[in-house]
Amino acid sequence: MFNLASLLAQIFNGIQFGVLIALLATGLSLIFGMLGIINFAHGSLYMLGAYLAWSFVQLFDIPGKLYFGLLFAFLVMALVGIIIERLMLRRMYGQPEAYQILITFGLLLVIQQGVALTYGTIPLALGIPDILKGQVSLFLFEYPLYYLFTMFLGLIVIFAVWFFIERSSFGAVIRACAEDPETASTLGIKTTNVYTLTFALGAALAGLAGGLHAPMIGGLQHIIGGEILLICFIVVVVGGMGSIRGALLAGILLGIIRGIAGMFWAPASEFIMFVAMGLILMFRPQGLLGRKVSS
Amino acid sequence: MKASSNSQRREWIFFIVLVFILLVLQPILPSKMMAAEILIMAFPTLAFIVLLGYTGQLSFGTGSLFAVGAYTTGILLARYDTNVLVAIAAGVIMTGIIASIVGFFCIRQVGLIFALLTLAFNQLVWFIIWQWRGLTGGPDGIWGIQRSSLDFGLFSFNIKPSFNFYIFVVVLFLLTFLFVRRLIESPFGKVLQGMRDSELRATAIGYRPITYKWMSFVITGMMCGLGGSLFALHQEYVGEHLASWTTSGEVVMMALLGGSSVLIGAVIGSGAFILLSDLLNQITALARGGGWLFILGVIFILVVMFLKGGLYGGAESLYGWVRARFESSPPPPKGPQSLDKGAAEAGAQPADR
Repeated sequence: MFNLASLLAQIFNGIQFGVLIALLATGLSLIFGMLGIINFAHGSLYMLGAYLAWSFVQLFDIPGKLYFGLLFAFLVMALVGIIIERLMLRRMYGQPEAYQILITFGLLLVIQQGVALTYGTIPLALGIPDILKGQVSLFLFEYPLYYLFTMFLGLIVIFAVWFFIERSSFGAVIRACAEDPETASTLGIKTTNVYTLTFALGAALAGLAGGLHAPMIGGLQHIIGGEILLICFIVVVVGGMGSIRGALLAGILLGIIRGIAGMFWAPASEFIMFVAMGLILMFRPQGLLGRKVSS
Repeated sequence: MKASSNSQRREWIFFIVLVFILLVLQPILPSKMMAAEILIMAFPTLAFIVLLGYTGQLSFGTGSLFAVGAYTTGILLARYDTNVLVAIAAGVIMTGIIASIVGFFCIRQVGLIFALLTLAFNQLVWFIIWQWRGLTGGPDGIWGIQRSSLDFGLFSFNIKPSFNFYIFVVVLFLLTFLFVRRLIESPFGKVLQGMRDSELRATAIGYRPITYKWMSFVITGMMCGLGGSLFALHQEYVGEHLASWTTSGEVVMMALLGGSSVLIGAVIGSGAFILLSDLLNQITALARGGGWLFILGVIFILVVMFLKGGLYGGAESLYGWVRARFESSPPPPKGPQSLDKGAAEAGAQPADR
């Protein structure tokens, strides 16, 4: 049981899982940094993305349908994000945080139960496309190609988002809005549009993560959002609120810890994340890469 | 000063009327045990409101503490056949111990991170309950809890009949409610409110905010535990779903539905929530797919968007409107300072980093 190959495989699994979580956590982190809202519906958006990708693949039998399904999930979820922000969240800015948390909590119920009513509660299976089936030999061990695919696609997307926010001129506009909305708006920036865009981006990333993850989940169910949401929260808190690099680092770190702990005792994989979070927060309350909050 | 005592009196009258209404309603509610369930769920909701209103902290951990109380009482009664009162006391003490451990880690954080941390600990407790089959029965839960006679030495009171049990719950809730009122008026409560309004000032005067926050977390945690203990007696069964974060979420919903700025909002909220979910469950054919949760979510979003202050706040502004209409005099002054203010300020903290 304890040999180098299986350890390496677990580390790869951890990175793969961590990258997926980081996709979600990046969106969550962006939304928090910009809108100051903790999005409890984030797991539901992920779940909805998975269902959208599944529906697309079922409906259209075209070559490369999975890729189009992913794109479809990304774009539709961006649209859903725009609608949610415009209709509901817009009214919540500046309200007590309890209300902000609660409106996204209500949203969680609506999306989750809406999916349950539309698709039923029986687990659905989304197969891995033929091209990505099979294994790759990585010196010591064989690794499923699809896992590698998600890992690289996730990393590319996260890097793109990071580049967009931190290095592009439009990203400067976004950061300006996060830092000081009033000054930004006097400079002619339409802050409301930036808010909408941020939420749409977060929702789209969640949708993409859902679509990517869907073939790996044995059965797709309407409740998958809840579990992943908690892991996401842990990753965001550990990585530091509002930090994309922090989300990626914490995601991969916790993913690896989770994978290795699971080798010894399967239930420990969930348990260990809470312990890691507790320990990290004891010594770095602002998270690994978070800025220090002066209270 | 005048306004405050006025509105306090209003709250009291409201409370007494509500208890009487519940007493009368008990036999005619759709299910006989519903009145007791409403008051039992009001325990964690009250704890949530106190924590949010007087320390500005939004806890998502009420469900797990509720479950700790329920499991402790349930295990003692089902396995060791202890005295009911001892089992309840043990449940409250055990919850206090767990709450002090959880609180130790959580109270150092403020605002949203506090909410997330309590949520994470909630899941941790759930996980332990789920895994520790030997103690908790894991997914099977605890069966065979019996409501037996309460023995006070001089006299005894049988809580087996649902009406007697309800009276027992009413008495305990009244005591808890009085305790909370006293606590808020006490120096301890004043320090908490002072800290909520300006932590810096309270620290400068010489109070240690951490200690006060910790104590308030433990006290409110014990209130959740008491509710949980009663819930174990009420259902005569304890399941792991109690500890899941949906229970915490329901408590938050109840608080917001009833009105989180007044203590009485706890009873209004849990009453409205339980009646509403029962009603939705019965009238919708959607029940099998959890359709009632869908409608509940919609109602919830609407309440948050259009009825700030929950049902109590809505009734209060309606009352003010009617009075202004008919007396053409200025509307009555607003109630005690809005508790949401504290939450708003706590929320403002992370923003001005």
